[in-house]
Amino acid sequence: MVKVGIVGLGTMGRQHMDAYLQMPDVEVAGVYDHHPDRAEAFRQQYDVPVASSFNALLECCEIIDICTPTYRHAEYALPAIEAGKAVVCEKPLARTIEDCERIAEAVHKHSTLFMPAHVLRFFPEFRMAHQLIRNGAIGTPAIIRTRRGGDFPITKSDWYADFEKSGGVILDLIIHDFDWLRWTLGEVERVYAKALTFRKLNHLDYTLVTLRFQNGTIAHVEGTWCDPGGFRVTLEACGDAGMLEYDSAQQVALRLATRADEGSAGGVQVPESPAVENPYYLELRHFVDCYKTGATPELTVTDGVEAVRIALMAIESARTGRVVKR
Amino acid sequence: MKVKVGIMSFAHLHADSYAHCLKTNPRAEFVGIADHDRQRAQAKAEQYGVALFDSYEALLASEVQAVIICSENAKHAQLAQMAAAAGKHILCEKPLMTRLEDGKAMLAAAQGAGVHLFTAFPCRFSPAFQKMKQLIDAGAIGELLALRGTNRGSNPGGWFNDLELAGGGAMIDHTVHVADLIRLLTGQEIATVYAETSNQMFHGNYDDTALLTLTLQNELFATLDASWSRPKTFPTWGDVTLTAIGTKGIIEMDMFAQYLLHYDDRAGRIKQVFWGDNIDALMIDEFLRVVAGEPRCVIATGEDGYRAAAVALAGYESVRRGEPVTVSYE
Repeated sequence: MVKVGIVGLGTMGRQHMDAYLQMPDVEVAGVYDHHPDRAEAFRQQYDVPVASSFNALLECCEIIDICTPTYRHAEYALPAIEAGKAVVCEKPLARTIEDCERIAEAVHKHSTLFMPAHVLRFFPEFRMAHQLIRNGAIGTPAIIRTRRGGDFPITKSDWYADFEKSGGVILDLIIHDFDWLRWTLGEVERVYAKALTFRKLNHLDYTLVTLRFQNGTIAHVEGTWCDPGGFRVTLEACGDAGMLEYDSAQQVALRLATRADEGSAGGVQVPESPAVENPYYLELRHFVDCYKTGATPELTVTDGVEAVRIALMAIESARTGRVVKR
Repeated sequence: MKVKVGIMSFAHLHADSYAHCLKTNPRAEFVGIADHDRQRAQAKAEQYGVALFDSYEALLASEVQAVIICSENAKHAQLAQMAAAAGKHILCEKPLMTRLEDGKAMLAAAQGAGVHLFTAFPCRFSPAFQKMKQLIDAGAIGELLALRGTNRGSNPGGWFNDLELAGGGAMIDHTVHVADLIRLLTGQEIATVYAETSNQMFHGNYDDTALLTLTLQNELFATLDASWSRPKTFPTWGDVTLTAIGTKGIIEMDMFAQYLLHYDDRAGRIKQVFWGDNIDALMIDEFLRVVAGEPRCVIATGEDGYRAAAVALAGYESVRRGEPVTVSYE
């Protein structure tokens, strides 16, 4: 049994826990959260041992899975790496490029098995789009557009609304698209962005980012925490031999619509794209397999650093109004 | 009394749509055609059953009260000045001009001659756009914060790929419609432009893809995709979309999303069959009304066309300089 420890027991911690529960060769040997009441709720739901400290978690696990808010990633990643653990870390790798580089340096120094959890690479639609483009399905890529987002994410601590902690919609959300674009097109040459991030609006963030890649392809990435119409993702990739298009709002394999009970407020609509294995499972399964076989993960710490670098270039451009070159 | 109208050049493919509108509008008498391409003029005159004039001068010497100019972009200025000098009202295809000085000369000529100069921006007449404007004006999404537009199509080829005649590639072809809608929606001028272009669709010496970032007043920003990026198998000619982001919500407009999907086995392809209103016909109808003396309501003026084209020209300046530029309207 591979012993995994999860630190950070919010939404992502639960998502990862659910994935590990489907793996017969994995035991979640411990979990940790610096909020004792959150850890207790998690223990009650999943019946897993709660470590008394992060050090105690390090002692009982082989793999450390970091699901804390972005600004605390380095604080847990660095001791885990130094303790010789394999580490999987939620995206974005860290809040600052300095933290990213500290993590990367430690990973290289300790030859750590490390993976930044850019789960979009394990979403079948984006994985297939990547493969099709790389295999020439649209010819030479010319222009790619992505759109991602919905309403503003609100949690108990409201850390998404604190730019210093989350980096706003650019660092937290569309880093998915930056990583996917870089995976598919190669390195970025320059970035220009506009955003609402610095206007201090109440729970609203929105950005439009233009990127030019070294291979000459241009891209437009829209990120929204402004859309009350529900979460939606679109992708359109145009090349000299064709185009690929995906729209989560158009392709709905299963839709549930229920009438609210009398007296209760509102109904609920849940569009779904059911699959045998969800992307979080595929991502973590890949990492556990790498741990067991010694293989190199598809995503390295460098991918994590570079995705953050693109996001921070976009943030700098939005802040200064200038074109930011790599 | 019908309004007598002539068409100056069929170089731009929209001329056929306007010709059809003239033939079917009861206010119009489509008098005839002149074109520097004599063969084209003859074919079109026969097709529409109208007079063929030997020269632009001959058309302008006729009884026509108004002309529609559908020449290559770079020739708009000369034809418009000729028409103005002959005292004819003008509807000019977009982009109004390929150089600021040409646009200024056109505006001055029309003003000096006391004739109307309009720009062919039919998207203004779209009921979807008009409704969007009403909603925003009524505060449905609160304060306007950002806009995201697209006007994509496929490469028209021919003179559209000639930098001299077209004034550029996809960016000058496809920036002006949405730039005009943004001006209309906000009541503001576009202050700065940053543009990225590429030629990786057709690998020519012209831009075939373009992404523009625009700023207006009050920190309002917008992007606009003005690319010839629709593949040959795309089910329609392209799109005009505009999304508005506000403090209370968003409005998404997809102007031509009123269609049936036709899976056509005989043609071996899937097509969108549009069933919405004909915005060219709505524009031509207002053009005819204004020429007949009614007040202007929606139709874009020469000044509107000038200001939208100035945004595209600033886009090229931005590409040359590799940085955002202030739009020059002077």
